[in-house]
Amino acid sequence: MGSLCSRQRHNQAGSEENEQTAEIERRIEQETKAEKHIQKLLLLGAGDSGKSTIFKQIKLLFQSGFDEAELKGYIPVIHANIYQTIKILYDGSKELSQSLEDSSKFVISDENKEIGDKFSEIGGRLNYPRLTKELAHEIETLWRDSAIQETYVRGNELQLPDCAHYFMENLQRLSDADYVPTKEDVLYARVRTTGVVEIQFSPVGENKKSGEVYRLFDVGGQKNERRKWIHLFEGVSAVIFCAAISEYDQTLFEDDNTNRMMETKELFEWVLKQPCFEKTSFLLFLNKFDLFEKKVLKVPLNVCGWYKDYQPVSTGKQEIEHAYEFVKKKFEELYFQSAAPDRVDRVFKIYRTTALDQKLVKKTFKLVDETLRRRNLFEAGLL
Amino acid sequence: MIEELNLGEVPSVFICPISLEPMQDPVTLCTGQTYERSNIMKWFSLGHYTCPTTMQELWDDTVTPNTTLHHLTYTWFSQKYVQMKKRSEDAQGRASELLGNLKKVKGQARIQTLKELQRVVANHSTARKTVVDEGGVALLSSLLGPFTSYSVGSEVVAILVNLSLSSESKMSLMQPAKVSSVVDVLNEGSIETKINCVRLIETLMEEKDFRTEVVSSHSLLVALMRLVRDKRHPNGHLPGLGLLRSISALKEVRGLIVSIGAIPQLLGLIPVLNPECVEIALFVLDVLSTVPEGKQALKDCSNTIPTMVKLLMRITECCTDYALSILWSVCKLSPEECSLTAVDAGLAAKLLLVIQSGCSPVLKQRAAELLKLCSLNYSDTIFMSKCKLTRTIQ
Repeated sequence: MGSLCSRQRHNQAGSEENEQTAEIERRIEQETKAEKHIQKLLLLGAGDSGKSTIFKQIKLLFQSGFDEAELKGYIPVIHANIYQTIKILYDGSKELSQSLEDSSKFVISDENKEIGDKFSEIGGRLNYPRLTKELAHEIETLWRDSAIQETYVRGNELQLPDCAHYFMENLQRLSDADYVPTKEDVLYARVRTTGVVEIQFSPVGENKKSGEVYRLFDVGGQKNERRKWIHLFEGVSAVIFCAAISEYDQTLFEDDNTNRMMETKELFEWVLKQPCFEKTSFLLFLNKFDLFEKKVLKVPLNVCGWYKDYQPVSTGKQEIEHAYEFVKKKFEELYFQSAAPDRVDRVFKIYRTTALDQKLVKKTFKLVDETLRRRNLFEAGLL
Repeated sequence: MIEELNLGEVPSVFICPISLEPMQDPVTLCTGQTYERSNIMKWFSLGHYTCPTTMQELWDDTVTPNTTLHHLTYTWFSQKYVQMKKRSEDAQGRASELLGNLKKVKGQARIQTLKELQRVVANHSTARKTVVDEGGVALLSSLLGPFTSYSVGSEVVAILVNLSLSSESKMSLMQPAKVSSVVDVLNEGSIETKINCVRLIETLMEEKDFRTEVVSSHSLLVALMRLVRDKRHPNGHLPGLGLLRSISALKEVRGLIVSIGAIPQLLGLIPVLNPECVEIALFVLDVLSTVPEGKQALKDCSNTIPTMVKLLMRITECCTDYALSILWSVCKLSPEECSLTAVDAGLAAKLLLVIQSGCSPVLKQRAAELLKLCSLNYSDTIFMSKCKLTRTIQ
């Protein structure tokens, strides 16, 4: 009797376990099914191409954005950017003042030299001090020095981050004791992405939910991090490749001798040829258009080897459009030359973006969503 | 009036049994059947004295005007005409209203407005004029740009294609960003939309100040070739090939067309195209053979020669002309190699056929020259045997 009872209890316990296991298996199956409906988007591109900014924008647009704690989390990054910027500018001015041409205009005024040296030292540390009002004031004084301004103009020769001007002009606000970064500040904040970050979101259309669920992955961009991307390549619906078109006169962070545009070109080619992307849609974001617009009228496109056959046709807005079309055509040419003939039915679209402009990113993403949805309908045979 | 109306449902009693057209002067025979006067009089003049529908012999050759039917016909058509006129005016009003809306709305509302405008414009020529007169073209053109969604772009193209565009509006549409959005729609669209895009681009190409760079685009050419190759939608072949022909006429773009692999694709298509399309495809291949890359690509393609040989004397004289020209280009490029292949494919017999046919003298001359070129590598006897001439000689 006793043994019967205990066996029953044992059976009961056994069946409970079975139930649990069954439940877990059911959950796994459900989630795997759900996974299949999640469209994976992979953000690729060279370092500094704006991938992370796009990532942040998506977070701001289609998720709950950043709460106060997250915003405040960016303060050290922003302050670091400031120290890095001023160090690059100061060291840069010293370097340029030793070159042969116009060296005098890069010489820092005597009263600012001490400040300069101080920040050159701080900028080289592993840990930066908190940005106080006094420090901010000193940085501002240095920033206003004409030698630094002249150096800023030659920023493309140094590794000056794009956020330089924005942060330098907002030093007062950024050094407030109770400073909470704005969304814009966060978008400008520059930190090198290591590893992989992902977010899941659903683009909210006019009728609230469009139904599509996307998972966006952002990976590190510098050369030494590319091996980390490989395991992500499987099953991706679309690659969003970011290319900063304003970089045609800049060199790599990791390698001062390589032109950034050429690096982007090589990377794009490499990505296009990957066998795992046979059926993947390619969405090319020609990013940093706002910087491109300003630069193209001052720095001719043909300083970059890839663009050496460029001929300007006019001035002003027309010239900007013409230059942009030229760059666009170069990428198109590259795409069709690198794509194997059997891949010619892949979706390939080019978008003009300025990752920092939230409205534009939203518009762009709506177009991306439309294209991907049409593609799905097409593949399901419904179009 | 009858011609202006475009009706499918004319009541059968108004239709003449002989011509199947509405009767304008109905007359009744003694059998009670009614016909159009001129038609039945013609029937009589040919010597018949029967009623065409009942086959009865007529006992009385008088024809009586059927005034009742005439009156009814006239009334029915007049009513229809008035209705049409009213709808047309309504359409004009509606078109005007829709244009006004278009200036104000965005998002889904914009798409719906465009869809309705497209329907109105497609069905009423008066509406088309209204749209053009009220600056609709500029408005629609302004909707095309780097941020144009597919839904908007496809409707805009569908509307523009129905309107007569001024020189100025065509120049405006040639702006790179606008052309890009049309090309995007061409890439992504349904077959009807693709055909619309093709037609729109053709219209732009007719403009005298047309700039070649507008069509000098990988994306456009690849999209066009995709349309031409689409086996599921053969109705796209002719428009696609037509545009390809227009583009290939521009010298500067020929290299680009070759570089996207158009030549092997066209060659592969020829067996499945209808004769009209084959002629255009051959025209394009012929034009492409005038550039070095084209000649090379034709030579590199293993089925160029067999396909061309097969086409000689098969379809139209034009096709034979193009095929000959292509064969000539390829054989001239590497005579030994190609004449071998050509002769093996039965070229000689075909050429003799051309020479002996009723084709133009120029064509015969070409055929003779090609025959000579191919025979250079053989001794007479071997060549003869290769030609399989026995049947022809017979």
